[in-house]
Amino acid sequence: MKQSKDPFEAAFEESPPESPVETEAEAEAERQNPRSSSSVVAQPQKVSKNKEKEKEKEKEKEEEEEEEEDNMDVELAKLPSSGDPHKMAKMQAILSQFTEDQMSRYESFRRAGFQKANMKRLLASITGTQKISVPITIVVSGIAKLFVGEVAETARIVMKERKESGPIRPCHLREAYRRLKLEGKVFKRSASRLFR
Amino acid sequence: MSNSSTGTGTSSKQRAASSQPSETSSKRKRGVFQKELQHMMYGFGDDPNPLPESVALMEDIVVEYVTELVHKAQDIGSQRGKLSVEDFLYLIRKDLPKLNRCTELLSMNEELKQARKVFESEEFD
Repeated sequence: MKQSKDPFEAAFEESPPESPVETEAEAEAERQNPRSSSSVVAQPQKVSKNKEKEKEKEKEKEEEEEEEEDNMDVELAKLPSSGDPHKMAKMQAILSQFTEDQMSRYESFRRAGFQKANMKRLLASITGTQKISVPITIVVSGIAKLFVGEVAETARIVMKERKESGPIRPCHLREAYRRLKLEGKVFKRSASRLFR
Repeated sequence: MSNSSTGTGTSSKQRAASSQPSETSSKRKRGVFQKELQHMMYGFGDDPNPLPESVALMEDIVVEYVTELVHKAQDIGSQRGKLSVEDFLYLIRKDLPKLNRCTELLSMNEELKQARKVFESEEFD
């Protein structure tokens, strides 16, 4: 796990300590800040490439947990603005070394998202027929997707602790959810506090 | 024990009745996000074919999370009387990955809007 952390830590400074596993946290952070302030971008590419190769070998053994690290925005690189050439180049380098399996998982990760219509309907039913603006839908979908990621990653950690393998089972999800609640990531502090 | 069995009983009825559109009913259609969730869970590290019960449970968890989120946002923005994006951004301010992701999404949305505007204005040239 440590080795796989390095290229990203080296290349991208932000790594919020909020995720259960540091590697996942970094991955999420990178996902969020591919273009943001890059104070540590001055890494020579050779160094990162070596680390990427080590990382790749590790990956083949522990694909599930480390998939989340490969969340660089290759698609965003095709967008005109906000492109940090260093990060984009590193991203390309990393992505070019993916196995098919990793690539397909990464693709799923990038493309999966909540349907706007469904989310709108859900939000409207929660708020009670308020009109939901598009930015709110976008924001909530984004938040929800990251939340799914947190739960799924925590569930994988739980499985690793219990030394189980295979698809994620509901018991893992429940344990993961419980842990996230303890960490305070799921605000269960209900609003009813206002009325007490 | 009996509670849980009635719970599952109602939920299976909901599943059967999910073909009916129910907008603001208290019943929640099951499997609304099922397809997307399957891909999402795979992307985040699950099996290529996640278990259906895991997907259903994940959907419940997400819906509950979004519900809590919206309720809290409503409480914050209750003065304005309307939900706004800033309420949500304020709620996740402590959670850096989510905050950054949301700002990124919003700025991308703006970019796309601008691009569309330019595209449309160009059409008439």
